[in-house]
Amino acid sequence: MKRPKRIAKTKERRATALAGIIILQALCALFFIGDIITDFREGGHLDDLHLGLEALAAVVLIWGVIFLMVELRRLQARMGDMDAGLMVARGQMAEVMDRFFDDWNLTEAERDIAIMILKGLDNESIGQVRRTASGTVRAQATSIYSKSDTHGRAQFVSLFMEELMSGDFNAAGAPDDHQPRTTRVSVHKLRAE
Amino acid sequence: MSAPSDDRSSGRTSARDVAVWDPLVRLIHWSLALTILLNGAILEEESNLHEWVGYAAVGLVGIRLIWAIIGPQYARFTAFPPSPARAISYVRSVLSGDKTVHLSHNPLGAIMIYNLWLTVIGIGVTGYMMTTIRFFGIDWVEEAHEMIFNWLILSVALHVAGVAFDSWRSGVNLVRAMVIGRKRVPQGTKLE
Repeated sequence: MKRPKRIAKTKERRATALAGIIILQALCALFFIGDIITDFREGGHLDDLHLGLEALAAVVLIWGVIFLMVELRRLQARMGDMDAGLMVARGQMAEVMDRFFDDWNLTEAERDIAIMILKGLDNESIGQVRRTASGTVRAQATSIYSKSDTHGRAQFVSLFMEELMSGDFNAAGAPDDHQPRTTRVSVHKLRAE
Repeated sequence: MSAPSDDRSSGRTSARDVAVWDPLVRLIHWSLALTILLNGAILEEESNLHEWVGYAAVGLVGIRLIWAIIGPQYARFTAFPPSPARAISYVRSVLSGDKTVHLSHNPLGAIMIYNLWLTVIGIGVTGYMMTTIRFFGIDWVEEAHEMIFNWLILSVALHVAGVAFDSWRSGVNLVRAMVIGRKRVPQGTKLE
């Protein structure tokens, strides 16, 4: 969960930088326009090279400002999408995990360990986090695998991978109308409650 | 590790952050405040810099006006139309204790925003006139420049008071929102 946050931070910084550039560039454009108006007032003509270049610079600057504004809007929209997507994915995955764990009657300790297994920690690290021997963790992990009817770590993780890849998450957050699959029948009973 | 799943769909349990002010809106806001502070209180009135800062202020308002057409949802004119009727009904609902949170400017605040922009443009125009040969040294232009500036100071004071009041009333820290861009909306409040 840290990495998406960091990406969001970077994007936010980029958006702020973009906004700063827009302001500076717009003010530069204004400066050139003011200068051109003054020059015209003093009897300049567009075919004058100096004035022509200035006019060109002004037009390009204004065009650039508009372009950057559109770009900033896109960046904002992408950030918004990412945020929403993250929340949906995060929230629903947590929900799915909870329901699985409920269904398997995992104890609090086993839930903890199951989450850490899903996060990729090995037994030793989990033992360090929980301040228990890695042998205890191994025993609890075995209990998790047997309760979830899996043969080990890889298969256990793949249960959740399947849930993620099934593609039937919908933004409305109503997973009730999933087609039950063999491994999830009991979970769906739970959902129907 | 396992929290109650009831609040998952709505994000946080007590309050949620809604991104409302994009960086351009925020930068323009604080830059404009800075130009007003500089020209009103710090810079020499007759100085060149005073002129340039003034033009920058008008330029900032100009950028904001363009952004109000092509910018994102909350920055647009459509999010805070200049409607006295809406402002009045907003005042009524506030007086009757309504706690609706407006994600963009609230309708009364919106009127103030338009007032501030027009005022800054007015000061800019009269200020520019004072630099032209045609209007140089003409009393009414100078007087207008100062009158509109006084109006600006009054408006800024009202603006700040309004922000303080609305922050207190709705529980949304509006100053924080204008700094970091997100409004922290207390759970269970109506949004508009």
